[in-house]
Amino acid sequence: MTERSFLRLRRIALSACLCAFGLAQNGTASVKVPDVPIHTLLLANGLEVVMAREGRAPVVAVEVWYHVGSKDERPGMNGFAHLFEHLMFDGTRNLAPDEFSNYIVRDGGEDNAYTTVDATVFWETIPTADLPVALWLEADRMRDLRINQSIFDKERSVVEAERQQHFGNEPYGDVMQTLYAHAFTVSPYRHMPIGSVQDLDRATLSEVQAFHDTYYVPNNATLVLAGNFGEKQAAGWIERDFGSIKGSSRAIPRNYPKEPPQTSERLVRLYNDVALPAFVEGYHIPADGTRDSYPLRLAAKILGEGESAWLFRTLVYKRQMAMEVDSEGDFTEEPNLFFVMAVMNPGFTPEQGEAEVSRVLNRLKRGDIPARVLERAKNETLRDLILQRDSPHRCAEALGYDAVVLQDPYLYNAVVSRFAQVTVGDIQRVARRYFVRRNMTLVEVYPKVAAGQTMRKISVVVH
Amino acid sequence: MRRSRLVIILALMWCSLAVARLPAREFPPFAPSPQPPTVPIPVVRTLANGLQVAILARHALPLVTLTVAIRTGAEADPPDLPGTAQFLASLLGEGTTHRSAQRVAELVDGAGGTLDTGAEWDDSYATLSVLSDHTKLAFDLLSDVVLHPKFSAQQVERVRRQTLSALDVLRHDPGYLADTVVERMVFEGTPYAHPEDGVEQSVRLITPADLAAFHARFYQPANAVLVVTGDVTTNQAMEFARRYFGGWKGKGKFSQPPVRPQPAPGGRKIVVIDDPGAVQTEIRIANPAAGRRSKEYAALSVANQILGGPAENLLFGALRRRRGLVYGASSDLVCYRSAGAWEAKTSAPTSDTIEAIRLILKEMWELRRHALGESDLGMAQNYLIGHMALEFDASDKIADRVLDLMIYNLPFDYWSHFPAEIRGLTRQEVLAATRRYLDPRRAAIVLVGNAADFQQGLSSFGSVRVIPLSRIDLAAANLEVPATPEPAQTAGQN
Repeated sequence: MTERSFLRLRRIALSACLCAFGLAQNGTASVKVPDVPIHTLLLANGLEVVMAREGRAPVVAVEVWYHVGSKDERPGMNGFAHLFEHLMFDGTRNLAPDEFSNYIVRDGGEDNAYTTVDATVFWETIPTADLPVALWLEADRMRDLRINQSIFDKERSVVEAERQQHFGNEPYGDVMQTLYAHAFTVSPYRHMPIGSVQDLDRATLSEVQAFHDTYYVPNNATLVLAGNFGEKQAAGWIERDFGSIKGSSRAIPRNYPKEPPQTSERLVRLYNDVALPAFVEGYHIPADGTRDSYPLRLAAKILGEGESAWLFRTLVYKRQMAMEVDSEGDFTEEPNLFFVMAVMNPGFTPEQGEAEVSRVLNRLKRGDIPARVLERAKNETLRDLILQRDSPHRCAEALGYDAVVLQDPYLYNAVVSRFAQVTVGDIQRVARRYFVRRNMTLVEVYPKVAAGQTMRKISVVVH
Repeated sequence: MRRSRLVIILALMWCSLAVARLPAREFPPFAPSPQPPTVPIPVVRTLANGLQVAILARHALPLVTLTVAIRTGAEADPPDLPGTAQFLASLLGEGTTHRSAQRVAELVDGAGGTLDTGAEWDDSYATLSVLSDHTKLAFDLLSDVVLHPKFSAQQVERVRRQTLSALDVLRHDPGYLADTVVERMVFEGTPYAHPEDGVEQSVRLITPADLAAFHARFYQPANAVLVVTGDVTTNQAMEFARRYFGGWKGKGKFSQPPVRPQPAPGGRKIVVIDDPGAVQTEIRIANPAAGRRSKEYAALSVANQILGGPAENLLFGALRRRRGLVYGASSDLVCYRSAGAWEAKTSAPTSDTIEAIRLILKEMWELRRHALGESDLGMAQNYLIGHMALEFDASDKIADRVLDLMIYNLPFDYWSHFPAEIRGLTRQEVLAATRRYLDPRRAAIVLVGNAADFQQGLSSFGSVRVIPLSRIDLAAANLEVPATPEPAQTAGQN
């Protein structure tokens, strides 16, 4: 591979210190998360390639990550990234609409795509014999996607139908949207990737084309391969299919408005067609991959994962006031939110739930975290990391995320030790810093009052 | 019909190329037809008490997963107490006669584990997955959870409350209503017609004694299987199985209830659940299908792939690709122990409801009449065979496939022969199975949406029964709360 002048191979021999740590040095667990050997290439046109041999099934996962998500949509363009997720299936000079998927699925493969706030991901999981087909197909639509008015119009209506399906009839469907729209004032994360019908309706073909020319270029893309395949052979196919695609000379815009620090609590009340009242609290947190993100991830485990998690134990189990609770960090490339949500049982109010959540968060802030609780959170994290190695698709997902959003594919192995090093003090520190009321946006949802009685959907907004 | 459409598409494609004066079209490289993967075959042993133990060692990752499956699920719910199997399974792990619920949760989470329990139609299960340095604990804990559940009043009430809350949420979910009502119609006269999770009325009535009775009757070693996968040796797994499950006492041989044939529907039935606030209509069109052990299972799998399976299929082509009416359109083949359903589903904007139904029925007719060409058959076969590699590429998927074998008493090497069975099917066999089951004239059609906007157009499909959303009662035989909401005396509806 190295003899090809235009194919520079960056092969990093992983030093022993980055290799599998497990958590043995903390004396907690004796299992080791096996390292996955990772190879990267950089093509002359700027396309990054990340490859990992994983698993024994004759299967390979191929993913193309375009580093463009809803946070790259300027005002008035909400939904463009998601629209392209659809347009990429609508044909090229060589392929008719949806023919792409037919080639993948005909031999039992699976393919799909998704759009996040940070990236748009196209993936195929295929029997290994089909690897050259998948590479050819991805290169083909990276090279010359066909965009015209009728395809644009058709996909716009499909995106609107998708939006209806997700948010039209779903109970609690608009709660998270409301949270993000109020927690952020200028951050592009205030918009959801699903997109705005108004923005899409007024978008012109030339605007859409310009968006494509900026972001859908090899120097803004990362190709990930994980599974049971020959890396040398794959590198040859990659160079053959992707090597001649022209990169763009323009720099990719990355200047996102910085959200000013929140200075007081915000409250929104919704009256929806739901059976039970619910609430979600969102706290501003720093970007993923930062030092604080690791203790925050463990805090999410302590609060919300499994039936021994603190929120479940108090709100669902002991007090029986909530039907369901969850806590998750929305970890992304730019600072985002950590949220706690609960659906209340009949007879309980969100206010009662919030008071209980506050008591649980205070416990974290006091550092009242027994060693076995930290060990549990770390073991649950180990399990997650092991499961990332359990199938080609999951491996490619995690690798792509590390390579594109965190800008370092080798984190895939290195992250094991970052979690191992987190102490109770770290968790206490981040809880005190971020889980405070002035940093919080609260959305409460109540069942619509009585039939016939109209009520403004959003009744109170306190800034 | 399908051929001519293809010709037109091809012609248009070449025209557009000519106009654009682009160089000739290129094609993806050739890939050979998919080869079936080598499927791991479990080692299966039977303990003296009748418990089957199926072991599949995989040492690549430090994880061990155990499942105990009881070969009885929601299909055995007492007729007046639907939801019993699910209620009971939800309580597994919520305290045993030896350990409190909190203790069980601490042990599971501390082992980096997950405990998942539930009831499907034909089985009840508890799956415990742990980091492999906790393997012994996993056997110990899982046997305790399955053999000695406590049904304490506190936990029963907690699960009852949670189930009632969940049912309350589901009552507002149009997709759930559509699925539940169409299954009620298709499975009428079988043990699969009631809502799997029960209904409000029954969940309120189930007592700890009911749960204990279900447990005593069905949770027996001779009616159970233990599936072990992951980083453990066969010998080690057998030793732990004997130690922790060997003392499980049963009542000897267990026999499944006899299978009765699924009644054939008389004619087309249309039910609309009217939700005036809906902007989308959930659409389900279903016929009965064969049971899981039927000889026609493979042929029906191929036919379902052609109608609405994951690969190129008639429904997606008609509703989404050519018309952009809907986001998704598909069909599912569900085959239980003694009955099955073949169900087309989509969700369409209210104004396109009639057109979506028309297109689904049209594609069903196409498949039934003549649409099945050799290339359709070959494509569906390639898909099903090629996809097998993906069904065995992760531990949880492998464990699920082994469970299929054990729950339905299929041969242990069933998956090794499945590709050849699929490949050997002829066009006539697939068409015969299609014609036997897929019948638009006898389909159950269920719509959940704003009836005012499409009810008129609906009459051309047959007689329609409209039930206002506010009057839906999944516990009632006729799905409706009694017309006159008088007090108790008239409540005995039928």
